[in-house]
Amino acid sequence: MQGKSSKLGRLSIQLGLGIFAFWTLAPIAWLVVSSLMQQQALTATPPDFSPSAFTFQNYVEVMNSAAALGRGLANSLIVAVSTTAVALAVGAPAAYALARFQLPGSGPILLMILATQMFPGIVVAIPMFIVMSHLGLIDSRLGLVIVYLSFNLPIVIWILHGFFLAIPVGLERAAAVDGATTLQIFRLIVLPISWPPIFATAIFAFIESWNEFFFALILTRQNAQTVPLVISQFAGQYQTVFGQMMAAATMAVTPVVVIAIIFRQSIMKGFTEGMIKS
Amino acid sequence: MAKVELAGVYKRFGALEVCSNVNLAVADKEFVTLLGSSGCGKTTILNMIAGLEDVSAGEIRMEGRVVNNLTPFERDVAMVFQNYALYPHMTVAENIGFTLRLRRISRAEIEKRVGTIAGLLELTPLLGRLPSQLSGGQQQRVAIGRAMVREPKTFLFDEPFSNLDAALRVRMRSEIKLLHQRLGVTSIFVTHDQEEALSISDRVAVINEGRVEQVGTPEEIYVRPVSRYVARFIGSPQIDLLDGAIVEETGGTGFRVGHVLFSLPQPLVHALRAQGALELGVRPENVLITDRGTAANVRVVNPVGPASFVTLAWEGGLITARVPGMSRLKAGEAVQFTVDPQHLMFFDKASGRRIEVSGEL
Repeated sequence: MQGKSSKLGRLSIQLGLGIFAFWTLAPIAWLVVSSLMQQQALTATPPDFSPSAFTFQNYVEVMNSAAALGRGLANSLIVAVSTTAVALAVGAPAAYALARFQLPGSGPILLMILATQMFPGIVVAIPMFIVMSHLGLIDSRLGLVIVYLSFNLPIVIWILHGFFLAIPVGLERAAAVDGATTLQIFRLIVLPISWPPIFATAIFAFIESWNEFFFALILTRQNAQTVPLVISQFAGQYQTVFGQMMAAATMAVTPVVVIAIIFRQSIMKGFTEGMIKS
Repeated sequence: MAKVELAGVYKRFGALEVCSNVNLAVADKEFVTLLGSSGCGKTTILNMIAGLEDVSAGEIRMEGRVVNNLTPFERDVAMVFQNYALYPHMTVAENIGFTLRLRRISRAEIEKRVGTIAGLLELTPLLGRLPSQLSGGQQQRVAIGRAMVREPKTFLFDEPFSNLDAALRVRMRSEIKLLHQRLGVTSIFVTHDQEEALSISDRVAVINEGRVEQVGTPEEIYVRPVSRYVARFIGSPQIDLLDGAIVEETGGTGFRVGHVLFSLPQPLVHALRAQGALELGVRPENVLITDRGTAANVRVVNPVGPASFVTLAWEGGLITARVPGMSRLKAGEAVQFTVDPQHLMFFDKASGRRIEVSGEL
C-alpha cells in the first residue's frame, strides 16, 4: 500500500515537473526552431516544418547587420556587468549592516527598499526620463546603469539580507573575540562563506540587466542601445522579419543560458542555502 | 594575573530585565562555573564579561580596571562557543592561527605557535582539514586550541560540551580540568548541567532568573544550598521536599508529615520551633531502606550501576532512596524507610530560603 501510494506520489511529481519544464522550455525551443525557418514557412498556417523550410539564412542576414548587433551586445555587456558589480559592491555591505547592526529605523528602511519594487516601471518612466535628460544621460550607458541599479540594488539587498541573517552569529562573535574589527569580520569571515548566494545574486542581477527592455527603449537612441532593442528593430514598419528577429534573439539569450547552465549548481546552492541555513 | 569582578551588573533588552544586580568576584587562576537552567541569563552574563554584549548598568572589572567599554580583544579574553563557531572556510591551522594573523604576527611564528597548540591537543594530523571534516570532539578541541593560542588572561566557555555525546562529555571534563591546572588561566564556564559544574569548578555560581542565587564551592552548594531553588537544581535525582510541621508531643519530637513523625534531635527541634511553615528537604542518599520505620511501597527501581535509585510511595507522596549496587527490590514490594537526621535541610515554605541551624551538620 505504502509502496503504491509513494509510487503514485512520485509519478505526480514527475508529471508536474514535466509540465513545468515544457512550460518553460517550449518558448525557447520555438525561438530556436523559428530562427532556423524561412519567413514563408514560418508564417504559413500551419507552419511548414518540411526539411526544405529550414535554413541558416536568418543568421547570415543578422551577421550582415553585425554592426548594430555587435554594438548592442557590447552595450548590454558593459551595462549588465557594471550594474552587477556596483549592485554587489554597495548591496552586500548594506545588507550586512541591515542584518547585523541595531540601526535605528532599519525595519522601515528595509520596507522602503521593498516598496520601491512595487512601482510598475511605467509609473516612474516619465519622471525618470526628465531626470535623465536634465542630467544629460539620455542615450548613455551610465544612465542605464543608474536606472538598472535602482531596481537591482533592492533585490540584491533583500536576498543577501536574508542570507546574512541566517549566518550563525556565533561565527562573527568568535571573530570579534579573536580581535577582528567589524570590517575584518565582513571581509574575512562573512564574505568568504557567503560567496554562493553572492554569486547567485550576481547572476540574477546580470540577467535582469541583460534582458531589460522598457527603460532601454525610452532612455536610449542609438549609441547606448542594448541587445533587446536591437532585436526589436527587426520588426519594421511594414514587415516583421520573424526569422531574423528570432536568430538575433537566440544569439542574445545564448550567453545568459550558457552562464545559467554552467553555474546552475552554485545558483541553486546560493538560493537554497539562504533559505534553509540555521 | 586576571581577577574578574562584576559589581551590580544589569542587562536589559528594552523593558525586559534579563540580569539583575549580578555581583561576582572571580579570583586569579580560579575556575568558576555559572550554572542555571536555560534562559536564566548565564550566557548573557558571560557575553557581557566577554564584551559581546553591552552592560545596561553596573561595572565589569578586570584586574581592577573597568572594562565596560572595551572590545573583547582589548579585554584579552578568549572564548569557546557552544557550537564551536569554527570558521567553515578555514582549515584547522587557519582557524587556530586566525587571531595571530589579525595581529600581523609573522607567518613563521604563527606556524610555530599553532604547531605547539596542535601538539598539545593532539590535532597535528588534522591541521590541513576543514571543520566539516572533523568529528564533534575534534571540533571541540580546535575551538579550545583557538582560544589557547593567544595565551589570554581569561578563558570563557559557553556550554562547550553540550553538543558532545555523553561519554565524550565526561572525558572532556577531566581534560578541561587538566588544562586549567596546567595553564592556570582564570576561567569562567557556563553550563546547565549541574553534575558538570560540580565536577570541574573551584566555585559554582547558581544563576536564577538573572540573579546570582548562590556562589560557593561545589560542596557548599550541594550540602548547604541557600534556597529551595538551589537545593532542587543541584543533585540528581532531585531532592525530595516534604510538607509538614515541627511537633513536640508525648509520642516524640520531630517533623510531622501527615501521620508520620520523623524524629529529630532535641536541639534541632528547639531551633526550628520558632519558624513558620517548613519544608523538609531529603536527598536520596539520606533515605535509608530499613526493616523498621515508615511503611512504603516500591514504585520504581532505577539501577545506574554503582547504585540504584528506588522511588517509594508512602503517605506523604513519593520519595527517592539511593541504595548501593544493583537493587533486588521489585515494584510493589512493601518496605520501610527512615531518613538520616544528620543531613536534613529545612526551608521556609514562604520565602524558599534554607533555615541555617547551627550544629545541624
